[in-house]
Amino acid sequence: MSLGQMFASGLSAVWGGGTMFLMVVLAIILGTIFGALPGVSATMAVALGLTFTYTMGPVPAIVFLVAIYCSSITGGSITAILFKIPGVPSSAPTTFDGYPMAQRGEAGKALGVALIASAVGGLFSALVMFLLSEPLAKAALAFGQGDLFAITFLGLSILVVLDTDHILTTIISGLLGLLLACVGQDPMAGVARLTFGQVNLLSGMEMIPVLIGLFAVTEVLKQTNTKKRLSADDGVGGTKGKVNTKMPTLKELLSIKWVLLRCSIVGTVVGILPGAGATIASFMCYTMENKLSKYPEKFGTGIIDGIAASEAANNSATGGAMVPLLCLGIPGGNAAAVMASALALKGVQMGPLLLTNQPEYLSATFITMIITNILMVIVAIGIAKVFAQILAIPYYYLGPIILLLATIGSYSEGGFVGVKVMVIAGIFGIIVKYMHLNSAAIVLGLVLGGMCEAHFSLAFQGAHIVTQPMTFSDIMQKIFGALFGTPIAAVVMTVCILMLLSPLYMPLLKKAKK
Amino acid sequence: MFELFCNIGLFVFLVYSYFTHVIEAKIPKSYLKNPNVIHPSAWPKAIIILLLICLAVNIYKIIKKNKGNPDFTFAKFVENSKEFFKSKMFIGMLILIAASFLLEPLGFVVTAALLMFSYGLLLGEKKVWRMAIVSVVVALLMHILFSGLLDVTLPRGEVPFLRNFALFLENLF
Repeated sequence: MSLGQMFASGLSAVWGGGTMFLMVVLAIILGTIFGALPGVSATMAVALGLTFTYTMGPVPAIVFLVAIYCSSITGGSITAILFKIPGVPSSAPTTFDGYPMAQRGEAGKALGVALIASAVGGLFSALVMFLLSEPLAKAALAFGQGDLFAITFLGLSILVVLDTDHILTTIISGLLGLLLACVGQDPMAGVARLTFGQVNLLSGMEMIPVLIGLFAVTEVLKQTNTKKRLSADDGVGGTKGKVNTKMPTLKELLSIKWVLLRCSIVGTVVGILPGAGATIASFMCYTMENKLSKYPEKFGTGIIDGIAASEAANNSATGGAMVPLLCLGIPGGNAAAVMASALALKGVQMGPLLLTNQPEYLSATFITMIITNILMVIVAIGIAKVFAQILAIPYYYLGPIILLLATIGSYSEGGFVGVKVMVIAGIFGIIVKYMHLNSAAIVLGLVLGGMCEAHFSLAFQGAHIVTQPMTFSDIMQKIFGALFGTPIAAVVMTVCILMLLSPLYMPLLKKAKK
Repeated sequence: MFELFCNIGLFVFLVYSYFTHVIEAKIPKSYLKNPNVIHPSAWPKAIIILLLICLAVNIYKIIKKNKGNPDFTFAKFVENSKEFFKSKMFIGMLILIAASFLLEPLGFVVTAALLMFSYGLLLGEKKVWRMAIVSVVVALLMHILFSGLLDVTLPRGEVPFLRNFALFLENLF
């Protein structure tokens, strides 16, 4: 099937005489609302969407589910901006600039930028995949464990540039996150580590409760002690109950055009790598834009560039993740895994033969992604405007409501233990503040720690195979083989080392320039 | 001073963890026989060693930075601690801890209403009756929305009456 034929077949599937088009609109509304509700993750949104598709044929079901999947991930940014509750780990960098903007009464603008950036990122990755899905799938297959470790490690190396004024405490924070990721059974031998006898921790530290605790609960606790806030009728951040729902202007959007383009490209590439995913993409792009920006000191204080970087990256990575899912049958994350089972239920045979055996399914998926990302801007902006008004509620109501939503989100992910973890993480967040540690670095370490260890262990196992007990020289050769065994890994690891050492040589370089 | 104590506390805790909790179960012999695999303790031990080095440097930096600082005394730390234990933030922490333990026996509806009511008053709402009514309504609406309409399972509680009430709410729609 040629590209033109695929495009026409996808378009006819989505249009479907108009009825299917309306179903897409319904799916976008449902997906955005599901995504915006804490506790209803993208995974759950797809699972809930399944109930609507029992009587549908395979193509309409695919169209409906893909639309829910894409819009629910975008909807997650709404809570990240309004309540500092990142619905998914990849939305965590959105809180850095989104929440301060919402606090200043610019929730509408922040949400508008997030939605438009998401749409641009999603649209870009859908178009790239439509044109390049076959060669991209082949390229992704060529990545070995060492290469994947190098990519994940690159995500971790960002630590040193997250807060250049406090490098030591940022590194301590990142290492704490990595250590938290070690809690539970180790990925290779299944041996319990650092559980302190708690059976509930055997499955590891639940990520969402920690995220919600560190961001949302800590924020409410901080607000409890803020004297300014207690003129509660002012609403959040003393905005006098008025929330500006004004969307970003064209001039503002044009000012971030290069941010959107760069982050969409990086996000798509990272998304295509099996197992890498949207979280690495969003953290990577946020830091990249911070470094490239003419005003890096403003990042984290509430600027649209930060939101655009994070949202364009995570949405394009989500789109990129459809390549390993459809062409290789490898789901990149939980939501993609539910998507995979939902598609399998409808008879889609994911894998290398999909392109030859069932090209109509592939084209329907990509065209739905393109149309969803265009329609989403209109539909989701309407929904976001309504959500933005929530900030006008006095804080003595809004604060406890945030705590209830945080409880629901943590319970749905980790049960009663999840709620306790959330509370501990919330209190720990206050200690983190007093210790001048960095919450974002802790989250980065926690999210990437497990992946990093698993990839390294597999790369170590596969490099320089020995038959006798290892000598010191064998160990060194194995480590070197795991880290620099392939050209891709060698290049990426060199970049990582240069980044990690930058705090040491950058001041010297600056001195030499002067 | 608090920052220094936290760093020292973390340092001591990590040393204790290094020697006692990095590996908490027997490693299968078949796994250890394979000469090509990495030991399960290698990764966490490497992280702990790096953390200990960084914390030691940080402790040294904190002490050096605060040399001659009149507020950097144990007496000031005790004074600040007393203030903290009287603060609204500390009460907020206690409310949250209590709620996390009440969730299992009382279920979501009652715990949510109690949490919202107590935290709302802590945050400055002066009209107690209005806060009580809003708390009950919000708790009921949330349970109906998430559990009844969105199929997100929420705790129903161990008390039979509360459990039946939660089930009733879930079956409204």
